[in-house]
Amino acid sequence: MANQRGGGQSKEYDHLFKLLIIGDSGVGKSALLLRFADNVFSTNYITTIGVDFKIRTLVVDGEKVKLQIWDTAGQERFRTITSTYYRGTHGVIIVYDVTNGESFANVKRWLHEIEQNCDVVNKVLVGNKNDDPSRKVVLTTDAQRYADQMQIKLYETSAKDNINVEEMFMSITESVLHTKKQQQRPDSSSNIVQLPSHPGYKGTRNPKSKNKCC
Amino acid sequence: MDYSIGPKPVEYPDDWLDIVTPDEPNPPAQVIRRRELKWLNMLSTWDHYMRRDFKTVRSRCRKGIPRSVRGRAWFYLCGATYLQKKSPTLFSDLLRQEGKQQCIEDIRKDVHRQFPLHEIFTEEGHGYVCFQEDLFRVLKAYSIYNADEGYCQAHAPIAATLLMHMPAEDAFWCLQAICDKYLKGYYSPGMSALKLDGDILFGLLKRVAPSVYKHLKKQKIEPVLYMTEWFLCAFTRTLPWSTVLRVWDMFLCEGVKVLFRVALVVLKYTLGRSEILKRCPTMYETLPMLKSLPNFVTHEQFLVFQIGRLDITDDQMRKEHLKQILKQKKLRQHELAQEKKKEAARATEDAKSRGAERFGNNRHADERTDVNNDIEQTEL
Repeated sequence: MANQRGGGQSKEYDHLFKLLIIGDSGVGKSALLLRFADNVFSTNYITTIGVDFKIRTLVVDGEKVKLQIWDTAGQERFRTITSTYYRGTHGVIIVYDVTNGESFANVKRWLHEIEQNCDVVNKVLVGNKNDDPSRKVVLTTDAQRYADQMQIKLYETSAKDNINVEEMFMSITESVLHTKKQQQRPDSSSNIVQLPSHPGYKGTRNPKSKNKCC
Repeated sequence: MDYSIGPKPVEYPDDWLDIVTPDEPNPPAQVIRRRELKWLNMLSTWDHYMRRDFKTVRSRCRKGIPRSVRGRAWFYLCGATYLQKKSPTLFSDLLRQEGKQQCIEDIRKDVHRQFPLHEIFTEEGHGYVCFQEDLFRVLKAYSIYNADEGYCQAHAPIAATLLMHMPAEDAFWCLQAICDKYLKGYYSPGMSALKLDGDILFGLLKRVAPSVYKHLKKQKIEPVLYMTEWFLCAFTRTLPWSTVLRVWDMFLCEGVKVLFRVALVVLKYTLGRSEILKRCPTMYETLPMLKSLPNFVTHEQFLVFQIGRLDITDDQMRKEHLKQILKQKKLRQHELAQEKKKEAARATEDAKSRGAERFGNNRHADERTDVNNDIEQTEL
């Protein structure tokens, strides 16, 4: 069982999920991850080349959820190798920069990217750098309208001032956990033959398959 | 480095450290002076050495180029001097052009995101600003020069490393040599050359460290997951600075095979013990090990010594390269064949449905009636 893994005598976690952070270059993906995983912010970031990831364990409804959060390079050309990163993903965090209209316009392309690489996956839309109203160009109402239309939750965050970061990660974790529990309900899966496969990864056409990390 | 991810840092047994070469950590001043003189002499008769005595050049690069001549030596080693002679005004010509807006914006975003811990970046004020401006100019010039590939984010750490040793124009020529000759195709939009080298690395690993190879294979860890940053940035972000410089001394002299050797040593000694592999039951323990490498593996003397000791010949590397190219070719042919089959099937389907449209209208109508009848019957 996936949730027993690494347990031994003491159970380290009840659930293990993989999250992926995507979005244009420079929107603050690494900053969000560092704020969430280590609760720090620095102005000295380096560009992400390839992929990086961090681990954090949350407690949701009394259950320990271990998160593996993957941070990806934002530049377009890295997308050709990013399909590798989508494998086994349970939740995707799509980030734009509220001070950069183009990064918001590109969200559509990122959603398309998810569609191409994943089957069923939870998503959250994040407008980062929401700490200086004078520089904000993507209005909350516009972003909210788009999020509603796409049926995704929207969070406006600031990794710098630590606004909404914890809430956003908590929200996507809850969604993923909710999805997993729904799929595990005996009435929804008792009549279905479970095939060993990587859920969330393209090629698995059975949306009811159990979300288990690769 | 953050060790909180994955397993706790492993304590390595003492016998591993014994294999570090007993080379002195800092050569005495006289030795450095002697090496400097040798290098100055060599640089003044460069063509002769490259043509007639490359072995001496190579051996001196392997020993490490003295700091005072490193910039010049790199410039000569990568052939930048010939590039410059061919078109002496190119750099300034390129800088007069505007460049693609997207490229320029991307570069602007990245110039302050390089080596934040390097001393050049901790200096407040003029030097820091100058360095960023130089970096911008070098990257802009290259993105215009190689308009097809444009700017890749991995160009920046390469250019920044060069700028720490030479003026902007020289760095531009070296960047051109590295991107166009040493790492050709790595930075292109498809990154196909990088993927190919990932496969070659994995093939070589099977020979060098079979247990590590099996472990990575079992956990389905594709090479691009750990080698992308290593190769695209030529290890500038992976190793301690003194090691980076030694690796680059060899890399610019002998080429990309040095990067393969570094990667193989790193993989072999980071994961190559059964107790370490046992502590990495999934890719989530294995990958962090490869992200925060143990200090002893990346230590200048250990790494350089092990690179030399690695049991792999140039010939074996060439063979692996050929093997992977053939594999890719076969895969592509297979994909093409599959595509053709699908297309043929689609054409047959199309033909059938066209036929049905022309001659089978009634049949469709009949089917519809049948369905309606079925529904009616069920309802009844």
